[in-house]
Amino acid sequence: MRITQNMTSNIFVRNLQKQAEAMLQRQEQLASQKRINRPSDDPGGMARVLDGRSTVAAIDQYVENIKQGKTRLEITEATLKQVDDLVQQAGELAEANSGAEITASQRQLAAENIKDIYDQVMQLANSRFGGRYMFAGYQTDTAPFTREAVDPDDYTATYNGDTGSFQIPIADNVKVSVDANGENYFQDAAAGGVDIFKQLGDLINGLEDGDTAAIRATVDPLEAAHVQIMNKRSEGSPKLYRLEASEQYWNNFKPKIQEAMGRDEDADITRVAVELNNLKTAYETSMAAAAKIIQRGLVDFLG
Amino acid sequence: MTQVFGLLSIGAGALMSQQRAISVTGNNIANVNTPGYSRQRLNMQTNLPMDTPEGLVGMGVQTTTVERVYDRFLGVQINNESANLGRWEAQKGSLDRVEVVFDESGGYGLNQALSNFWNSWQDLSMNPSGTIERSVVAAKSQALADAIRQKYADLEQAQADIDAAVRSGVEDINRLTAGIADLNQKIASMESGGTVTANDYRDSRDLALKQLSEIIGINSFEDSGGQVVVSVGSGRTLVESGNNYALTTTDPPGHAGIEWPGTPLPISSEITSGKMAGWLQTRDTKIAGYMSNLDDLAVNLATEVNALHVNGFDRNGVAGIDFFKPSGAADMAVNPLILADPNLIAAASVAGTVPGDASNAAAIADLRTALTMGGDPDTNPITLPTSTFDDAANALVSQVGHDVQEATSYQSHQADMLAYLDNFRESVSGVNLDEEMVNLVKYQAAYNAAAKMISMGDEMLNSLMNMVR
Repeated sequence: MRITQNMTSNIFVRNLQKQAEAMLQRQEQLASQKRINRPSDDPGGMARVLDGRSTVAAIDQYVENIKQGKTRLEITEATLKQVDDLVQQAGELAEANSGAEITASQRQLAAENIKDIYDQVMQLANSRFGGRYMFAGYQTDTAPFTREAVDPDDYTATYNGDTGSFQIPIADNVKVSVDANGENYFQDAAAGGVDIFKQLGDLINGLEDGDTAAIRATVDPLEAAHVQIMNKRSEGSPKLYRLEASEQYWNNFKPKIQEAMGRDEDADITRVAVELNNLKTAYETSMAAAAKIIQRGLVDFLG
Repeated sequence: MTQVFGLLSIGAGALMSQQRAISVTGNNIANVNTPGYSRQRLNMQTNLPMDTPEGLVGMGVQTTTVERVYDRFLGVQINNESANLGRWEAQKGSLDRVEVVFDESGGYGLNQALSNFWNSWQDLSMNPSGTIERSVVAAKSQALADAIRQKYADLEQAQADIDAAVRSGVEDINRLTAGIADLNQKIASMESGGTVTANDYRDSRDLALKQLSEIIGINSFEDSGGQVVVSVGSGRTLVESGNNYALTTTDPPGHAGIEWPGTPLPISSEITSGKMAGWLQTRDTKIAGYMSNLDDLAVNLATEVNALHVNGFDRNGVAGIDFFKPSGAADMAVNPLILADPNLIAAASVAGTVPGDASNAAAIADLRTALTMGGDPDTNPITLPTSTFDDAANALVSQVGHDVQEATSYQSHQADMLAYLDNFRESVSGVNLDEEMVNLVKYQAAYNAAAKMISMGDEMLNSLMNMVR
């Protein structure tokens, strides 16, 4: 083949350009520590990375939901435990004051005690979490239990909430539902349960009236109320366990997704550095060769 | 007698021929870096010999033509490959800029906006009466709508940029075809005698044809008079002898299309190579495709979210209104009423004031995993949706990356191929300085020898004259 000076220089220019381009790409990878710096670097890899990012964002949200859900369940548990203690205390007082030997003043004292308990249970039933009533169903900005009777001896509590529940999204289309219907906790009238407020009211009236039969009549229902609260408490623990298991699952799953994303997205620094070094050597060799060949011609040797 | 004078005339012819050869060589050296230049060669031949009793005696040298060394078929091949390179170069150039619109490598973009959107609905579903959660849903939804609208606007801008490129490309085409027509005439008039070849004009015309090929794929052939006929598309003549047909572009509104003079006749669809083809394909197929994907995303998102939202009830227990409006990527936006009052977000699915009911917000958040994209209710049987919103957005980014990668690899391959052909042309037609130096020395030596011959003839004549005296 016939070779001309322009061929030589064109080939040099073209190859130097190519090498410079390859070096720039490696430099970019080193600087960003990423193998994919734009979608065209690896369209398939980019799709997987974006998919991974969507998944990670969803996982972060689920973990956040679970944390909030756990707090809610823990607060519910603490609240119910306190209610339980109070109900048991009331039961004991009813038992202790149902005998005929108890004096009127003793009963009066017990009545005052139960009134306090009534107020405390009312307060606990109207507990709020994040500014919203926990036992009001969907009616989270209405106090669920109020004593509205004008008659001071009427301790009937009205439920102002509804049957709504609190939903915690823990995975794609999976929700843990926490009962927020206060009636189920404190009145459970529909299911034949105990209306704690009514029993406490009966007890107060019984004590104040010295009606031992009425006092005794509250002992069993208060025991049943204890069981009712215990049942609701035991509903919480498997849910808490489920939340914790999900959280653990996500916490294990997320690093695996990130690892897979890293394999697609992250640059293998060692390899890129070695490649860059090789390219640099080739680049310099090309330039040295160009410098030697391009400047020489017959004209240099003619006298 | 005749012999001595003959010697002088041979010497004079030789001097002149070698001198001419030196100037042709000098011209080659001077044009070593001239684009499109083909090296030239002086053709020499012997003069008619003289018939003598001893037989035929040579009567020296004469020059015939200055010939340009080139390969006619290589030229056509180079033009074709230039057209292919032009196409992929234009496509890569335009798509590179589109890729920036979909650059999600930094973690900001459609993907992030969608994730934030879904997560804000989940947050709301955990706390449907929260003022902050409601504002966040409004803000993240607006950010998503902005992202879609912005990308759509960026794509429209990319199309407008291509329109401008097409218009200026057509001007370049008309300038080049006018130049080729002009050169056609010059070559025809110069070569009409049949003896001279218009080497330099032919080089210029070849170069102009190559430049024209880069912009628009052409067919060209040389007629018997040495004039090229150039046509594009399905035989639309651009140059014929001294005439060129100026192309025009369609006026806005609408994208710039290419028209052939006369009716005028739209020929955009006939152009398959050259930058013009790359631009048109990128604008009308690639970018238009991305825009329709974005539009599908916007329309389906608005439809699905709105369908759930109007069935829900807002913070005040009133039935929900349209969440997104209107529904299209070009003007995607959250309903301004909702932006003004986030309490209008219908998180509840039960009528009346139920601040704690988040079922509707949860249902909207669940759209994240629902198959909503890729379906077509107009087909028979109905094509069911096959992917989620996130899938569709991610696939779009991946598609753009794939198109850029494809254009880059074709462009690089085509550039290699053209470089190879250019080298081949250079090998045939390029000037080699070493070769020219050798020729220079060769012709100089011949010139010197011829001069010596003349002075020797002169001496011989002198001797003859002295003899007589």
